[in-house]
Amino acid sequence: MRLSRRTLLAAGLTAPLAACSTPQRRGAGGPVEITFWSALRGSQQVVDAFNSSQNRIRVVFQQIPSGGQGGYAKLSNAARAGNAPDIATIEYPQVPGYAIDGVARDITDLVTDRVKQKLLPQALKLTTFDNRVFSVPLDIEPMVLHYRADLFQANGFEIPATWDEFADLARAVKNRFPDKKLTLFPTDGGTQFACFAWQAGGQWFDTSGGKWRVSLADGPTQKVAAYWQKLIDEDVVFRNAGDSKQHDAQIGQDRVLTRLSGAWDAGAQMRARPGQKGKWRIAPMPVWDDQVVGTHGGSTFAITKDSWEPEAAMEFIEWQTTHPDALTARLKSGTSSQYPVAPGLVAAGAKAFPGEYYGGQDIYRLFEQEANKVRDGWVWGPRMTATLKVMQDGFAKAGAGEGTLIDAVRTAQSGTMPDLKALGLSTEEGAR
Amino acid sequence: MKSKLACAVLMAPFFLLLVTVFLIPTGTAIWLSFFAADQPGLGFGPESTVFVGLRSYVAVLSDPTFLNGLLTVVLYCLLYIPLMVVGALTLALLLDSGVAKLRSWMQMGLYLPHAVPGIIAALIWLYLYTPGLSPIIDLFAKADIQINFLGINTVLPSIVNIALWSNLGYNMVIFYAALQAVPREVLEASVVDGAGPVKQALRIKTPLVRGAIVTVGIFTLIWALQLFTEPVLLSQSTPMISARFSPSMYIYDAAFTRNNYGLAAAASVILLAFTVALSFGVTRWTNRKAA
Repeated sequence: MRLSRRTLLAAGLTAPLAACSTPQRRGAGGPVEITFWSALRGSQQVVDAFNSSQNRIRVVFQQIPSGGQGGYAKLSNAARAGNAPDIATIEYPQVPGYAIDGVARDITDLVTDRVKQKLLPQALKLTTFDNRVFSVPLDIEPMVLHYRADLFQANGFEIPATWDEFADLARAVKNRFPDKKLTLFPTDGGTQFACFAWQAGGQWFDTSGGKWRVSLADGPTQKVAAYWQKLIDEDVVFRNAGDSKQHDAQIGQDRVLTRLSGAWDAGAQMRARPGQKGKWRIAPMPVWDDQVVGTHGGSTFAITKDSWEPEAAMEFIEWQTTHPDALTARLKSGTSSQYPVAPGLVAAGAKAFPGEYYGGQDIYRLFEQEANKVRDGWVWGPRMTATLKVMQDGFAKAGAGEGTLIDAVRTAQSGTMPDLKALGLSTEEGAR
Repeated sequence: MKSKLACAVLMAPFFLLLVTVFLIPTGTAIWLSFFAADQPGLGFGPESTVFVGLRSYVAVLSDPTFLNGLLTVVLYCLLYIPLMVVGALTLALLLDSGVAKLRSWMQMGLYLPHAVPGIIAALIWLYLYTPGLSPIIDLFAKADIQINFLGINTVLPSIVNIALWSNLGYNMVIFYAALQAVPREVLEASVVDGAGPVKQALRIKTPLVRGAIVTVGIFTLIWALQLFTEPVLLSQSTPMISARFSPSMYIYDAAFTRNNYGLAAAASVILLAFTVALSFGVTRWTNRKAA
């Protein structure tokens, strides 16, 4: 037992370190070499396009696992060992954590006005803390309603525009089909739930008072939790992990009619289930009263503290986030449907995205319309991975009938506060 | 002079290991738990290492997820330790009484699981517990019995089962060795006095191997408080095991998911203190009873 524990720890520690020991080199007279880590699909194509577009900077790309699958652990370990890549890909919720840990460097001075003008301000706000910019957003992903147009049409279901209509439809689906459900409440979907709260006007974290004010269970979040709890209690939604074989089967066997996820998921769906070509369409996320939405997913690029060439790194980041060729290269890989933070790229995106899967629907125009509805003012917290993990542990229990969703949210809050306090941050507890 | 040198040479490996794998890490953990790289306010400024006193300890002890983990491990001990001690002792008494045939085969069969590394054992059981993979669950299903080994109330007993399977044989061997040392004339005297085999086992043999029982009890307690491998592996198959299921898992999560080394260090020191206090308490308690 003791030996195996140690082996496990050692394996967890050394594997990422061994894998990332590529030394950083300055090209002697030749091009500047910078390293870039990402789990995003199509990144290799983007890097190739950049490398062939000029000869001053050479980007060395390494595909790493996605954050939850070990990508973030790899980055943290590399940063601790002092050999993080020049550029790391960090999703929005994790940006403040890496900024506080000093892994993502303060790049306020490197982000010129020229770059800023090309990016949606509401996205840049999510990576700016204390008036300092810590990463440059690549895509902003409003949550949308992916739905089975064929099943909707065959049964005369209307696309729900509001959450009330959505709940009624969920009941109608259950009445019509004993084995089908309108949607899934993903018990591993902390980020989906955050998006629901975001849309409803929740403010889990607030830094405006110079301290971290944490109120996960605020009024809007309670409303959202009660809404989904009711659907769970009525047994009109599935309640299992979204990232699971079980859910794959639910989608593959036509047992789930809609999916609530970010715009990027359109590409993931195409890749995962080519057989359902032509059956899916995309509609706006249902709303409460105001025409606003939240985001689900999306990535940013940070320059790490270990970078020797921050200017060159910034040049590649700027190209990658704002140049049409970058987006074209990524979308041509056929596995991505990211919605760019640079509005100037939308036309290029719409052109490059292969539209047959969605029956020719102009999904980029829909994404554009939805991206403009993203509610302003959301702030992610300093230890978002852990906060969401505790919440998801509670969701899984609630899905199994023990406890409720709002209990899970409250546990997440009480499991987050000690963490922030031990980090030495100024904190304050809001509603709970 | 010569004997002193020999003494030093022979003791050196022990002290070297004690210092490198126990004292230095423990000292580092204690240091880490009292100092932190702090940034004031929102935390985006430059860092400076400062003495933070008991801040990390207060944070750990006010964290319901840590206290839940502690409660889980206490429950685990209450379930596991009695089962283990009674089970191993019963098997050893049976072997010693001569009731069991093929004694050495029995011994080997029972001991063999202990030779399987904990992580492999957990993998084997993970396979047997996972719905859709497990032949056992299929078998029960054929008899119309729905069983979920990884459900909210069954997951702890499932972990106890793995630990029992791994360690029962080992502890049985310790008890058996102790029973071998019981003087035969005492046993003969008890037979003459009219004690049957059951009475002999309970009233004569068991009190005479008391020392072994206490030793096994304390070792099992220390081992059980560090519960880690089995739940970590099982957590891949069930959401009922959270990332902070046991104190050891909490420490791992604090250090490697939350990058909060002060918190992890404080939790480690608390777990160490808890373990030392409990072992000390058990030793004192049993010694008093013996006196």
